[in-house]
Amino acid sequence: MSASFRSDFNVELSSRALGPNLPQRIGRLLWAPMLLMAVMAFPIGFAIGIARANLVAAGGDAATIAALGHLGPAAMFVGFAAVFAAISFAIARILGVLRAGGGEVQEAAGRRVQTLRMPASAWAFIGLMAMSMMVILAGVVGNAVVGASIAGGSTDLLAQSEGWAIWFEAVRRIGVALYLVAIALGLASIIEALRFQAIRLRELPAEAAG
Amino acid sequence: MALTFGALTRPDAESEVRAPSRHRTIGLSLAAVGLALATISLVNSIVAGDLARQGVSADQVGSLGAWSFGLTTAAFATVKLAIGLILLGIVRHIWVRVESVKASLPTLLRSSASDAAPLGEFESAFGPATATTTAPKPLLIHRLAGLMWAPMLAMGVMLVYAGLLLSFAAAGNVTADPALSSSQRAWVQGVQFLGEGLLLSGVSFLLGTILGAIRAGGGEVQESLGLTVKTLRMPTTAKVFVGLMMLGLMVEIAQFAGYAYIATVPGTADYATFSTWLGPLRELGLGALLSGIVLALATIARALGFQFARITQIITSGR
Repeated sequence: MSASFRSDFNVELSSRALGPNLPQRIGRLLWAPMLLMAVMAFPIGFAIGIARANLVAAGGDAATIAALGHLGPAAMFVGFAAVFAAISFAIARILGVLRAGGGEVQEAAGRRVQTLRMPASAWAFIGLMAMSMMVILAGVVGNAVVGASIAGGSTDLLAQSEGWAIWFEAVRRIGVALYLVAIALGLASIIEALRFQAIRLRELPAEAAG
Repeated sequence: MALTFGALTRPDAESEVRAPSRHRTIGLSLAAVGLALATISLVNSIVAGDLARQGVSADQVGSLGAWSFGLTTAAFATVKLAIGLILLGIVRHIWVRVESVKASLPTLLRSSASDAAPLGEFESAFGPATATTTAPKPLLIHRLAGLMWAPMLAMGVMLVYAGLLLSFAAAGNVTADPALSSSQRAWVQGVQFLGEGLLLSGVSFLLGTILGAIRAGGGEVQESLGLTVKTLRMPTTAKVFVGLMMLGLMVEIAQFAGYAYIATVPGTADYATFSTWLGPLRELGLGALLSGIVLALATIARALGFQFARITQIITSGR
């Protein structure tokens, strides 16, 4: 493989199609397990909400209500973290299909294979995805620890439950916002890949077959 | 109205292939705006949480919380609108790519087949497919998606931002009229999450439009070459995607009805009880919509894989 030689796109040259790169292979493997995790977590979070509502209606124990007020969102946002991860991995899988498929078409046509290197938006997508996952999970862990402590009898945390709930909700929500921006970057990378492919396809007829 | 949605999703055949995507640029800029709004809300929530832990008046915390919720949801909606714009850019670039394939493929054929491929249903490496002489007509779901993505996005954005304005009103009434403020906060949650549901449905319809473009574009290319048109049948992931999208939207409508009810009974036991489970219900609805979106993306990957395999087959075998 040799260095990029185009001025409009940063590409790798090869005689054969390059397969998906590591992030794309990971995406192909993990999108389905993450979706499965999300589908399991959402009903659990909802069930905890129903249980909490029943306690509120029946005038139940304040500590249990407060604890469930933390554990419910924790479970729900495990679901959100997993489903956003699944979306991100599915986007990586699409990018892998574009990369591998584009190379196969060029190889089949007997032309030198040009493969788009990962654009800046794709690197930002991966970095922001990792960061947002950690932020959401930090909020989830915080909720889980506080909820478990209140359920275990901590009166200090019970007194401060509302304040902690507001904080952890804020952390979870900024994590969601970051994740959505990461997804936007991933989709923007798909546009770049499609644009490169459209241009490259028009160049192929004029090139001599290898 | 002279401007049709078709014109928005399919550029002219002669449009500039090299032109950078404006949808990408505008979408990413809008995403940055959404992130900025979310950051403002984060700072506000940190302050509110600190005040709550110090035990200051519930009114002060409630007021901060009221508009913070509205602003955070508006931030999410802004980034989701940005995602919608970028998806629109993807649809357009799929069609630009189709024109490039049509222009180049005739010259790339390495052999020509003496006979056409057999017609009928067959099993491909990507699932069941059909072989026909002409490009298949768009499926009903693709036609529906092409019509509905724009109204859904527009309604979603309007509802979320209407809820944002109402959240400021609710924040202002926390001390002056607590019952009115409670009622308004219920409306804010119901309206904004109905808006979020409509936005995600708009995103889902755009993904359906992408799938329709891949199917229609692939058919056009093969038909233009006089070849047997091979088309992937709708995979199970696509069918489940449609089901989850409808389920999620119905749940969001149900939560809106629930909040509309408790808005009429502020300060009662019903208000407290319903509020407790309506929150998880609305998030369950969003979860269903997002899960559907994952399956739509998986379907797009499969359809693209089928398309590349077909193009490669045409180049190498001529049929």
